[in-house]
Amino acid sequence: MTCEEFATAGLDLGEAEEDGLLQRAAREHLRGCPHCAALHENWLALREDLRALGAETAEAETPSRVEMRLRQEFRTRHKTVKRQRVAVIGGWSLAAAAALFCAFTFVNWRIQKGGSGVQRRGTAVESAASQERSSQLSKGITPVGSELGDVLVTSSASGDFTLLPGSMPPAPEDATVVRVQMQRAALGALGLTVNEEHAGDWIQVDLLVGDDGLPQAVRLPQVSTQSTD
Amino acid sequence: MLLKRSAKGDESAFTELYRRHQAPLYRFALRMTGNSWAAEEIVQDVFMTLVREPKKYDSERGTLGAFLYGVARNRVMKHLERAPRDVSLDERGDAGQEAHVELQEQMTPARWAELRERRDQVHAAVVELPPEFREAIVLCELEEMSYDEAARILDCPVGTIRSRLHRGRALLLAKLEMLREVPKRAKVGR
Repeated sequence: MTCEEFATAGLDLGEAEEDGLLQRAAREHLRGCPHCAALHENWLALREDLRALGAETAEAETPSRVEMRLRQEFRTRHKTVKRQRVAVIGGWSLAAAAALFCAFTFVNWRIQKGGSGVQRRGTAVESAASQERSSQLSKGITPVGSELGDVLVTSSASGDFTLLPGSMPPAPEDATVVRVQMQRAALGALGLTVNEEHAGDWIQVDLLVGDDGLPQAVRLPQVSTQSTD
Repeated sequence: MLLKRSAKGDESAFTELYRRHQAPLYRFALRMTGNSWAAEEIVQDVFMTLVREPKKYDSERGTLGAFLYGVARNRVMKHLERAPRDVSLDERGDAGQEAHVELQEQMTPARWAELRERRDQVHAAVVELPPEFREAIVLCELEEMSYDEAARILDCPVGTIRSRLHRGRALLLAKLEMLREVPKRAKVGR
């Protein structure tokens, strides 16, 4: 073994004990080389000092204030995390409750709207039915007095009539529809404006006559216009 | 297991974990920096990392102890980069680690003082070693870890530990030789 080899491996004599050959070679070299023997001795002394130094601080521990600080930090951190978690859960719960409330309100509104629609539809159907009935009644024409011309009896049918000025709408059960033929100018006598160019024209007119015998409203049937030459 | 409980907010688990690992980490930091305040700060930083980011530790990559040593080592290196050579021999006294060389029956006060001085020199020499050699010396000589353990902690092959130790020892011997020569020369000069 050379001095260089000893310097590389020889200082490890303690650790190289399992390597018998190396140990033997190192010991042989030590016996023959005073320089390496001195180096080895120095190393052994240093090693002892190092071990002693190690032993001096072997019991060294972190001061307890570090543990306290760390535990404080740990607590703060985990409390914050917990708080954050609670806040997040609370937020989501609130949002879910709000969404549920909105959904419930919307469904309720839809149900109410649907109900009123049905009601309105029902009312519309009812009114349509009553109109139908009344129109059927008005169509079911029965002459009552031939001396008055074609007399029609109806309970209603005031919808198409134009009220004459100064007259009140008669009760349907008291009114009678009388179809008459007259000159257009005669409508002026009833308080209606008449086009003078056609004042001489003969027209068919339905008069709604009240129970006092006075015409209350007037209607021009679409089919019945007759003109005189 | 303890780490999992600690990550879930179990303070007693964290305390247990801290008590189990703090001492070797503190010693390592103290021996590497030679400064008790720095060592304290480093240990605190290491465990703060564990509190803040427990998921940084991957059990498949090694033990928790090795992981903590790794974090401590990084902090030590940062500290050494910031304050490379600000260590004095007096700091050991400041650290509260008052020397306790036991007075044996045959040990006179003069012998005790000589031993004290010698250990101070050794300590100063260790602290002045380049960091990579210093950590090998601290782990293998002061902590008396095996080469395998040191290699695991320093995350390098055993061969690297061997060579760093070898060079570290040689540097230490040279440094101590120098330190011992200076007073001798001073005496001769007078």
